[in-house]
Parts: sequence; structure tokens; C-alpha cells
Amino acid sequence: MLLVLSDEHKEHLGFLPEVESVVVGEFGRIAVEFLRRGTNPKIYEGAARKLNVDAETVQHGVEGLMYLLTESSKLMISEVDFQDSVLVLGFEEELNQLLLELYLEHRKEVRSILTELTPSLPHYHNLEWRLDVQVASRSLRQQVKPTVSMKLHLENRGVKSAKVLQTDPATLMHLIQELEKALAELKTTHCRRILRNIK
Amino acid sequence: MELSESVQNGLQSLADPVIFDLKTFSVLIDVAFRSLLSAHADSSVLDQTEFKRVDQTLLKHCHTAATTFILEGVKQNADKSTISSCLEDVRFDAERTELFYATYQKYKSDVETLLSSIGRCPPHINDLSWRLEYRIKNGHVHKVNEPSYLISLNVEKASNGGSLEDVNFSCTMEQLQDLVGKMKDAAKSLEKATQL
Repeated sequence: MLLVLSDEHKEHLGFLPEVESVVVGEFGRIAVEFLRRGTNPKIYEGAARKLNVDAETVQHGVEGLMYLLTESSKLMISEVDFQDSVLVLGFEEELNQLLLELYLEHRKEVRSILTELTPSLPHYHNLEWRLDVQVASRSLRQQVKPTVSMKLHLENRGVKSAKVLQTDPATLMHLIQELEKALAELKTTHCRRILRNIK
Repeated sequence: MELSESVQNGLQSLADPVIFDLKTFSVLIDVAFRSLLSAHADSSVLDQTEFKRVDQTLLKHCHTAATTFILEGVKQNADKSTISSCLEDVRFDAERTELFYATYQKYKSDVETLLSSIGRCPPHINDLSWRLEYRIKNGHVHKVNEPSYLISLNVEKASNGGSLEDVNFSCTMEQLQDLVGKMKDAAKSLEKATQL
């Protein structure tokens, strides 16, 4: 699968061959940093002064790289497809190689950043448990009632929450059985066929 | 067992053969247990033909005394000798004491279950359901291609009148293995604890 670059995008990236490869490397570093933490316009101005160009040109260059990185990471295109995709920009081989390295080095991280944007439910983080025996209460003395108290830690978009729940021994066994069935389902031929064929 | 004066008076009336003959006495004791166990007990529990000739105020007083005595006895897991000596103090004869104790034994475990369900406790997991899905792509990332589980714990909240609620969360296969592993640890400890 090839990346389709718009004319506007090509034009923005067109600034890159005009500067030294060290500068392109620096732009790449800034692009990744901005993807991690958001943009900072002051950086554009500083770089523009040093290079003696418009701040806008620098901004377009860096944003062009950010877009190139996010699109190719999103589609998870192969090394060869990436090289073929940037070929249309008509850059020197060295610059193409630099872009490829930038892509391959940061693909995993960019994908994990993009994953944060996807809609998600709270997900499992940890489970703490404790075994209790209730021996008395206001309404009934001399009891022997085993309970399993559990603290379920969930996480949603970096926000952690915890729920305190409890259950009785028989239900605990039932819960384990059900969840083991869920795990076993993944190993059935039906699931394996789907996992194998959707790539 | 410590009983208030009002309860003692009520029980004394119950012991009086002039007010309650043996048949009426046994019906009242049975009604007292059943009214505790029935979820929607109302004043109609005392609408028995046997009670027609008893003064209604006195009847209610005796019913309250009997239920209080039952609750106190079950709460403290009172044995036969404790119950007997208490009833002797309020002038029960041997026959009525024996009859009360027989009924007490019959209903005791049910009343215990009822009493043990009273009180605060964290939401209780009753069951769960799960769904397995294979994540393919979304608007931001393609080729995600990973299995994911959606787990829904069915939880009952005692503090909220037994209302049901679900706790939903998703997890990967590894996370589910971790969850099951921890639950199994708990089950193993439980097993060891019962062998002590």
C-alpha cells in the first residue's frame, strides 16, 4: 500500500532539500517531540531566525513531517512502500534514507500515541484480593461466612480508578471457570482461522 | 439473653393458658417465625381464626415479644438451655417451652440466613459475561489486529436495596490471563484455608 501525498503536503515538504541533512534530522526530532507533547510555536520562530526563513516555512516543514509520520504509521506501511511513497517527492537518496530511518525508528511510538485517540472502555490494570471470614455482625453473632474481597484497578486514558467488590467462594470458582472458557475460545479453530486470515 | 420489660410482659402473657390455649399459642409462635421470614409481612399475618377471641392489642404485644425473643435468640445462637431458662423465667411451662424450641429449630437456619444478609458490604459479584472480539482498525490506527475481551461483572449492591449494576471493562489476552491467575491464587488460598 502506497501513501498518497497531496500537492499541498508535497509543497510543504519541498522545503526540506533546501537545508542540510543535520537540520532535517533536527526537524524530525522536533516533529516526534511535538507528536508526543503537542506543538510549541516558539520553536518555529527560533529555528526560522537561525535559518533565515519565515517561521511559517519551518512550521510547514515540521508539520509536513508530522503528517508523513502519522499517516505512514497509521497505515503501517512496509519499508519498501514507504520508500516508493516518498519517491514522488523527488528528493536525494540520502534524504529519503533519513526519512525512512525516522519512520522506522518512531513507528511503534507514533502508533501507540495514535492508539490513545481511539475510543476505548476502561481496561483492566490490576486485581488485588483478600480473603475474609465474617465472624459476627450487629444482627448475627457467631457466623462463619468466607468472602473474597477484591479491588479491581481499571485504567482509562491514563486515568486510574479502582472498585472494591466481593464475592463468595462458589461464585469465585464459577467466575474462574467462565473466564477460562473465554481464554480457551481464542485457541479454537474458528478464532484461529479469523486471526490468521485478517492481516 | 437480656430482655426488656415489655418483651418479658408479652412472653408472660403468651405463657398464660387463660389468654392463649396451647393451640393458639402454637399458631402464634409459627406465625411469629413466618412473619420474620416473609418479605412482605403486614398486619394480615395476625388475621387467623384462632386469634379472634384474643384482645387485638394484647395479641400484637405478644407477637412483638415473640419475634423479638426469636431474633435475639438466633442473633446470639442461643442453645436449648439458654432458651429454656429464659422461657422459664417468664413462666413458660415445659410443654410450651418444648413446643417453642421445636419451632425455633425448624426455622433457625432460615432466620440466620436472613440476619446474615443484613448489614453493609461491598458490592457483590454474582456472575459475569464476556465477549471476545478481534480489533482490526479504527480512524487513527490501521492493522491493529489484536484480540480483545469485554468483561461485564454483574454486581449486586446491598446498600442500594439489592440493585443490580454492571462493571464493564476491556482487556487483552495477557491481561485476562493475569486476572484469572490472580483469581486462581485467591481460590487456592481459600482451599488451603478450609483445610486448616
